[in-house]
Amino acid sequence: MMNMALYKREMKGSIKLLIIFAAVITLYVSVIISMYDPELMKTLDSFTEAMPELMAAVGMTANAASLLGFMVSYLYGFILLIFPMLFCILRGNALIAKYVDKGSMALLAAAPVKRRTIAFTQMKVLVSGILLLVFYITILEMICAMSGFPGELDVTELLILNGGLLCLHLLIGSICFLSSCIFSDTKYSVAFGAGIPIFMYVLQMLANVGGDAEKAKYFTFFTLFHPDGIIAKESGAAAGILVLLAGAVVFYTLGIMIFDKKDLHI
Amino acid sequence: MNAMKIENLVRDYGGGKGVFDVSFHVDQGEAFGFLGPNGAGKTTTIRHLIGFLKPKSGSCTINGLDCWRERDKVQARLGYIPGEISFFEDISGAEFLKFIAQYRGIGSQTRKEDLLERFELDPKSKIKKMSKGMKQKLGIVAAFMHDPDILILDEPTSGLDPLMQNRFIDLVAEEKKQGKTILMSSHMFEEVERTCDRIGIIRTGRMVAVDAAAALRERHTRSYTVTLENESAAEAFAADFNGVRDGLKVTVTTKQSLEEIFMNYYGGEKHDEHGAV
Repeated sequence: MMNMALYKREMKGSIKLLIIFAAVITLYVSVIISMYDPELMKTLDSFTEAMPELMAAVGMTANAASLLGFMVSYLYGFILLIFPMLFCILRGNALIAKYVDKGSMALLAAAPVKRRTIAFTQMKVLVSGILLLVFYITILEMICAMSGFPGELDVTELLILNGGLLCLHLLIGSICFLSSCIFSDTKYSVAFGAGIPIFMYVLQMLANVGGDAEKAKYFTFFTLFHPDGIIAKESGAAAGILVLLAGAVVFYTLGIMIFDKKDLHI
Repeated sequence: MNAMKIENLVRDYGGGKGVFDVSFHVDQGEAFGFLGPNGAGKTTTIRHLIGFLKPKSGSCTINGLDCWRERDKVQARLGYIPGEISFFEDISGAEFLKFIAQYRGIGSQTRKEDLLERFELDPKSKIKKMSKGMKQKLGIVAAFMHDPDILILDEPTSGLDPLMQNRFIDLVAEEKKQGKTILMSSHMFEEVERTCDRIGIIRTGRMVAVDAAAALRERHTRSYTVTLENESAAEAFAADFNGVRDGLKVTVTTKQSLEEIFMNYYGGEKHDEHGAV
């Protein structure tokens, strides 16, 4: 079902990107966690009071009581959503559509390897990248929290929270992958693969501002990932995660099936 | 036995582009030349054969296997040189060949070395920096190194210098001797004439002629019989024009080259255009 030679080649292609994103995330996560300090929190809260709409738009709300609550407010609204999403967009497009667009898919398709195997391998490359990134984020958060504030972090809650984060990014990845499988032109693959998740994120920002704009939350899948709800162990939040995961499975499967059936003009 | 069979293949791209009701076959161990001008439908036909396109109607089979539904089985025995080769630009030629060998699951490396030597290709440099000719050679090595039984070659000599074109023709001739089945599309009549048993000509998506290379030439042979005044004149005439003398009569035959035959078939295209205006 999977071609090892292709998997190795593509994972090599992911590594550079993963290292860059890991470095950026390391910077943000370590700085922000180190800012967890009652005194500084007051400063941040004063920002929130001064410009609540702007802070809310990027998911930063006050009332971060525990360390994890603080992390949810300042990491899970922007940084940990955007950077893995960028990874999904870049790799998702490169794994299928770029090869078809450039014609080098001919080399992969003109071999005794099933198209389903090609697509499945590429999907696994994308999923592996997302897994590595979320795994790294988790380890990083644990190291930063435990070294800076021993005993403050509830590890189980963090693991559950990041399980949810993983499902969210699996869904984002599946949208990029599906778009990459459908379109033979990088232009359209990127337009939909990047356009849909970014548009949804903008809707989420709108919804966070509140007021009438809050209705926007019914039109974005980001609503399904509800960190505060996950920590509070709300059943609605768990259902949201399951929906994200189910959606991802459906989109990945659909992408593989479409690539298997489609005409390749290469 | 038919190694490749194309039956009533249709793929309409609109505007007169595509292939329409194309049928032909290539026998086991035969070399088939596939000729036609740009945009005639050669590559479209080939994309159906290698399982990239699903026939809108009609069918393609190789060794009895459906080229679309059983393409992975077909591919196991197939060597393919695309008309426009696009590689992974980020790696060197050697890395690329190593990747393809692992990807296809080829064990032996001896044939790869033979081919590299034959085409004097040093694969160490990055593919991005290679000339068109070098890339073409790399494509040839990649298509032949798993020793396939069936070769589908889409304008395989484009970008090669005359010396390398000859080496390629020699390689194809050797493969044919070993009983391989070959479909080769080309603009070069010479290479088709030298290697192929039969030739098919496609024009605006329709097969206009499929025949043995020899028969195709013969059909376009004309004889003229001239009666001369005396025997010495007849003898001189026969000697000058390479004719056959029978008493006072001398028969002279002219052969059209394959190129002229080719032009004959395309000549009609111009008339069509005039007719349309």
